[in-house]
Amino acid sequence: MAKVIIGCWQDDLIDNRNTPKRLIEDGYPGLDELEKDNRLRAFIGWDGFFIFDREAPVVDMFRAYVQKVQEESCGYCTPCRIGTKIMADKLGSIADGFGREQDLEEIRKLALVIRDSSLCELGHTSMSALLKAMKTMPEVFEQAVRERRPVPRGAYHSIATAPCIEACPAHLDIPSYVDAIRSGNYFESLAIIGRKNPLAGICGRVCVRPCEFVCRRAELDEPISIKYLKRFVNDQIFSYAMTRLRSVEPTPLSSDKKIAIIGAGPCGLTAAFFLRRKGYGVKVFEELREPGGMSAVGIPDYRLPREIINTEVNRIAAEGVEFHYGVRIGRDVTLKQLRSEYDAVLMAIGAHGSKMIGMEGEEAKPSGLVAGVTFLRDLNLLHPRGEFTPPEGKHVVVVGGGNVAMDCARSARRLGYPQVSIVYRRTEKEMPADNEEIRDAKLEGVEIHFLTHPIRLEVSDGKVTGITCIRMELGEPDASGRRRPVEVKGSEFLFACDIVIPAIGQATDLSLISGDMPIKTTKWGTVEVDENTLMSSREGIFSGGDCVTGPKALIDAMGHGIHAAHSIDLYLRGETMGPPESERIFRMLKAMDLPQSPVNRVGNKPRRHLEPRPVEERMGDFDEIEGGYMPKEAIREAERCLRCYRIAMFVTEE
Amino acid sequence: MTTTTAAEKKIIAVTIDGTPVGVPEGSTILDAAQKAGARIPTLCHHPSLAPIGSCRVCLVSVAGVDRPATACNTQALAGMAITTRSEGLFNLRREVIKMILAHHPLNCTPCPLNGDCRLQDMAYEYDLTTFDFSEYLLKTVEFPWKAFSTPILDYHPRRCILCGRCVKVCAEIRGLGAITMNGAGAHTVVEPVMADRESQSRCISCGECMRICPVNAIEERMGSAKGKPWETTKTQTTCTYCGVGCQLDLNVVGGRVVGVTTRDDVGVNRGRLCSKGRFGYTFIHSPDRLSRPLVRNAAGELEETTWTTALTLVAREFRRIRDNHGPQALAALSSARCTNEENYLFQRLARQVFGTNNVDHCARL
Repeated sequence: MAKVIIGCWQDDLIDNRNTPKRLIEDGYPGLDELEKDNRLRAFIGWDGFFIFDREAPVVDMFRAYVQKVQEESCGYCTPCRIGTKIMADKLGSIADGFGREQDLEEIRKLALVIRDSSLCELGHTSMSALLKAMKTMPEVFEQAVRERRPVPRGAYHSIATAPCIEACPAHLDIPSYVDAIRSGNYFESLAIIGRKNPLAGICGRVCVRPCEFVCRRAELDEPISIKYLKRFVNDQIFSYAMTRLRSVEPTPLSSDKKIAIIGAGPCGLTAAFFLRRKGYGVKVFEELREPGGMSAVGIPDYRLPREIINTEVNRIAAEGVEFHYGVRIGRDVTLKQLRSEYDAVLMAIGAHGSKMIGMEGEEAKPSGLVAGVTFLRDLNLLHPRGEFTPPEGKHVVVVGGGNVAMDCARSARRLGYPQVSIVYRRTEKEMPADNEEIRDAKLEGVEIHFLTHPIRLEVSDGKVTGITCIRMELGEPDASGRRRPVEVKGSEFLFACDIVIPAIGQATDLSLISGDMPIKTTKWGTVEVDENTLMSSREGIFSGGDCVTGPKALIDAMGHGIHAAHSIDLYLRGETMGPPESERIFRMLKAMDLPQSPVNRVGNKPRRHLEPRPVEERMGDFDEIEGGYMPKEAIREAERCLRCYRIAMFVTEE
Repeated sequence: MTTTTAAEKKIIAVTIDGTPVGVPEGSTILDAAQKAGARIPTLCHHPSLAPIGSCRVCLVSVAGVDRPATACNTQALAGMAITTRSEGLFNLRREVIKMILAHHPLNCTPCPLNGDCRLQDMAYEYDLTTFDFSEYLLKTVEFPWKAFSTPILDYHPRRCILCGRCVKVCAEIRGLGAITMNGAGAHTVVEPVMADRESQSRCISCGECMRICPVNAIEERMGSAKGKPWETTKTQTTCTYCGVGCQLDLNVVGGRVVGVTTRDDVGVNRGRLCSKGRFGYTFIHSPDRLSRPLVRNAAGELEETTWTTALTLVAREFRRIRDNHGPQALAALSSARCTNEENYLFQRLARQVFGTNNVDHCARL
């Protein structure tokens, strides 16, 4: 626990300078993990600062902070480009012992100009901490000017971040690639995405976009359409990438170490890409005959066309990653064999099994009961080849409220079932599926029954004839903050139907580790890993993605892929494994959970929405339901970005 | 997808410094201010480009919003109350202009824009001189030793105020996107975009960036002493390089053409030119250019003569060839440097006087 001596955040001032040390009780939890045995002395952020050490190098740390702002300034607007340079120079001369009395007044004046006249949020937020420090402890700065000798220096760890960057599990530099789109520089934009995300086309279509939910533009009108902008740049350069593939040389092998990756899903592909870029030999083993994992067999083609996945994988293969399809570890090769042949193994096997609802009669597996993931998998694998035989019947009931449930229901409508219903035990507000998904499902004629829970499967002659449900009502909030549904006594009713598709959750098939090489698992049926390194209980075997976290979003799995690649790299080089400094800073910022002052500008430029194909037309096929942005629209949309860059800086002992 | 339809272009009411004014929906605050007759200084704004908003000198106050907004790229909304003049805004603009000038050479005397420069006018209006920067104690910014240049254009990072007009004009009007801003903070410079390290710059030296640069940071390499604005006579003429008919102004100093400029509101080209029209004027004063007729003497050497002698000789010889060998022994080849009318007359001469259809034209230069 780091304890605040003096600090200021927004309008709250903490001043413990004259408080005896033993009385300073409250500290910030989670602030000690930046570096082991390296004590935190101070923090400077976008709305204030905290000092944890009476001897902190105040003047020099603000010099370092403004210097960092200057280094991060994009150079586009005058106040941030030149103003922060003047500020950094001035604070530098004070820190060097050449300060003059009038300098402090000048700094204050310039800081106000920069705050009020900068183009983006970087300039707006960069001066806030300094202004607050000069107000709360002017004597420190005055002393430095008066004494005219060099002030003590400190060790600094800083990062340029933004709410969207912090929310993204892959920590993609979103304002930067949106800015590149704004200036029409699509190549650069895709290159910025590619530093963290080799699957831009996939992410640009099906990402659950945690970034958009924290977008500060929402305070003015609507969030930026980050997902569709990513899709736009990817699609713009699609043909270019195809022609370039032939000329791309694989990254030269700089290491004789070899890595096996089990599973060609989002986590495996991301890790493979970054490890190959680092010069390791990488082989990916995939049970299915095609790449993509859950993104290929769990998401219908109308949301994510298969050719997009194939292009991305070809791009990764062009880097020199080898793919082996149709190989199941545990059946064709054992995990032990794999571990002995490779220097490191990454298990990214996803969660392709389905969970039971827990209703009577489902264990007998009557005909007409199809698990959601199985339904989507058969559909995705067989339908394009014309070999898919849909389960017989007319009325489909999908159980669940997530995106998988929506995918099942909307696919069922496309397959021609005249009546498709979803039953969900809470209300629309608690539904985990995307709002757009729910909206589109309703438009496509899917009935959604809220506050309804199935309790018994009605079967006759080994075939589903209906489902008995019970009405629910919302009770007290549970651990997740959602109100827990409670059964309404005596409200059972029969729902006649022919097909029941449970889509309430997925499980990992852990059969590959139960054989000759046992690995610890959790009580939730996932692989147990050290969350700092993603290494499992067995040395050299790493794991990431859904098989560790349970079913989560694509971007979470990709974040794990980046993390695993980093850990494997350190492991193979014999270094201590652990998250990189930037990741540690992100964790600390998350632990601090500091609020940000509201955006105060002129807004009202609403978001550009994509025009979906008419319902009647799209119901007949599995093609994408909406085209992407046109260049002009994309540039307009990108112009809406406020570039909420903010600098966070930690001052430590050494 | 939002499309602009007639219905959306309704008139909205805003107040500029207390004066109510009606503007079409979608107008910027700058448009509204112009309509109300309030002058707002601008530097990066250019009517033919989408608003940039980088220079920050057009800041205005909007009632109810703490942060000043840039007039050039902020949409005016119904009921908005805008202040364009106040002591606070004057001081804010003055500080911003001071920052721009802090990194721009102030030796205006040798600059060809001296006397016709927006930045200079602004410094005058906002009462800024070299002495105002002494308090900044500026450390010099080192720029890359080799700045961006092409065989025709030079970029001077020290003069550049990074307004971003050149980058925009290249992307929006030329459609190339050949240049971009690179670097960070005070070290930002304009550089060519490279798709990868091996590829060539996409720049075609059209000079649109030079035309739109407000501070002469991009300059042509045909010599720098081009005369001052007050001693330059501008003569409007039509470009002779192709059939488009672009309008340009020949800048004449002391009877010599020293450059080509354009005006944004004139001609089919609206200020735009290609590299030939803009830079291909040095032939005018070339010593190799024929200015008098030459005729070979008995020894086979070219000798100066009068137009009468020369034309008589040409007419006699052409007639001789036509009479002795027939009209098909003659052909007429004319030049793209001539006007349509001259070319028309020339083919009439060939067909009706020479009696041949052997007519051709170089069509491009």
